[in-house]
Amino acid sequence: MSGLAIGIVVLNVVLALLFSLGAAPILVWIERRVAGLIQDRLGPNRCHIAGVRLGGLVQSLADMLKLFFKEDFRANAIREKFLFSFAPVIVFVSAFLSFMVMPFADDIYVGSERFIMQGLPIDLGVLWFLALAGLSVYGIMIGGWASRNKYALLGAMRSGAQVISYEAAMGLSLISVLLCYPSVQLGDIVRAQGELLGGVLPAWGIFLQPLAALIFIVTAFAEANRTPFDLAEGESEIVGGFHTEYGAMRFGLFFVGEYVAMSASSALIVTLFFGGFQLPYLDTQTLHVKMPLILGALVFLVPLGSFSFIRWMRKHNRWRVQNDPRSRESAWLTKVIVGLNVVFLLGAGYGLIVGLSSFSTQFVTALLQVATFAFKLLAMNFVFVWVRWTLPRFRYDQLQMLGWKVLMPLALVNIVVTASVIVLKGA
Amino acid sequence: MGVKIVQRHGKTLREKLYLPAIFGGMKTTLRHFTANLSDTPQIKTFSYPEEQPQDITERYRGVHRLTKREDGSVRCVACFMCATACPAECIFIEAQEREDGVDEKMPRRFDIDLLECVFCGACVEACPCDAIRMDSGIFSFIGKKREDFIQTKEQLLAREAKENR
Repeated sequence: MSGLAIGIVVLNVVLALLFSLGAAPILVWIERRVAGLIQDRLGPNRCHIAGVRLGGLVQSLADMLKLFFKEDFRANAIREKFLFSFAPVIVFVSAFLSFMVMPFADDIYVGSERFIMQGLPIDLGVLWFLALAGLSVYGIMIGGWASRNKYALLGAMRSGAQVISYEAAMGLSLISVLLCYPSVQLGDIVRAQGELLGGVLPAWGIFLQPLAALIFIVTAFAEANRTPFDLAEGESEIVGGFHTEYGAMRFGLFFVGEYVAMSASSALIVTLFFGGFQLPYLDTQTLHVKMPLILGALVFLVPLGSFSFIRWMRKHNRWRVQNDPRSRESAWLTKVIVGLNVVFLLGAGYGLIVGLSSFSTQFVTALLQVATFAFKLLAMNFVFVWVRWTLPRFRYDQLQMLGWKVLMPLALVNIVVTASVIVLKGA
Repeated sequence: MGVKIVQRHGKTLREKLYLPAIFGGMKTTLRHFTANLSDTPQIKTFSYPEEQPQDITERYRGVHRLTKREDGSVRCVACFMCATACPAECIFIEAQEREDGVDEKMPRRFDIDLLECVFCGACVEACPCDAIRMDSGIFSFIGKKREDFIQTKEQLLAREAKENR
């Protein structure tokens, strides 16, 4: 393996870590700030390191530190100490691993060697995700049972029943999606979505399979244990649900696992239904050919975007006390953004003047696609948060009713219709 | 007797679909989100320790104070009315004879345990001499030890009424 190849593999692993593990604190921040703004308040914005608040992002760091250094408490009544400690690990690891098959960009070719741009270079795709997403409920069940607490057990049972009823609809809705695409590998699915549908719409899954998209998104909410389906921890009825007895970093793992699972679900939704890393109307081939043009456009767009962001920040990021270190944050951040812009302009200018080699074209394309994927992932995560702060929790019988009597028949009908259309078109 | 027929909801197809209602709700929350994101200063939240609340009225029940006579001596006559009226039993009074002829009795000790106090204002209502008031406007009382929260007669006498803006 050449140094370049090793570099690409390392980049993939780092990106996978960044998108799943690194996403957790960012998602916690997004959740709290978005909740605040939706409810006409500010959310956490005071915590700072030497005056840098980053809009409150530092709060997540402080929370993490707090969870790490809290007393690791466990009730004496708990007999299965190993299972009790192991349950959060299952939840976290399964959520973490299910992210590993999401393609961040199109394949990169070094000579004749092909590199799949995902955390683990395997072709299992959707199957891997389904297998691991189903595993996380074991963590919740074991944790709730090992807690020796009635509320925890009730929460765990609810969660188990919920996952069984929603996994069925989820798998069935996926079948009709997979019928439309040639393979289960997510990279192939995304490549298929780069084409145009009748020359107008991009062939995204949501346009091909709107019903499957709806069913999958609803079941993904249930799978990630997010409101309106977070009955496993219905605090108004069963205290804290399955994590009643958990504290410190054991609870922290459950907590982070929830956000990683949410991020993984969003990644799969984006990959299957919103074109993954594809920029609309610009598939990988077009990007390769038109790279100088796109770079030229970016040279204008990036400084323009940065400028409007700086204006927005200067208007909003104010600290009323004069001698507080926090009052200097805006000036400091402005310098950082300007510096990043200069670096970007120098790099882009160099690329434009000297000209791009075949590999660097591929590399820049991959970077653009990673940025696209990250943006879509963030947008989908925002939808998760947005829904949480809009909809109230379902009642338990309504939840089961929706799963078995509505979503599952709809998914079955969708499969029959899709299959018939495909057979008729093929005939 | 008129009969009022309450219309039942949830039977039409539109309502059974849930989705229109869900999207309607999400539109509302998104409107709040974008409005607040594009103009954060319009949010009513204030940064508390730096910005103090401006709506503490004259009648606000803050931390207690003991009032004084014109000559500056304590107005309290140690009648125990406040301690009797107190539902939290947080007032401890020790009486002594008053030697200067202004009155017959005065408190030797007058302690209020603020950790017990529920700030109900029953002591102020009960006082026949207008000797105890809660018009200091102090809504946040900070101490590092439990003992810091037991307010003595001297501390209570030293406190002044909140100036009206």
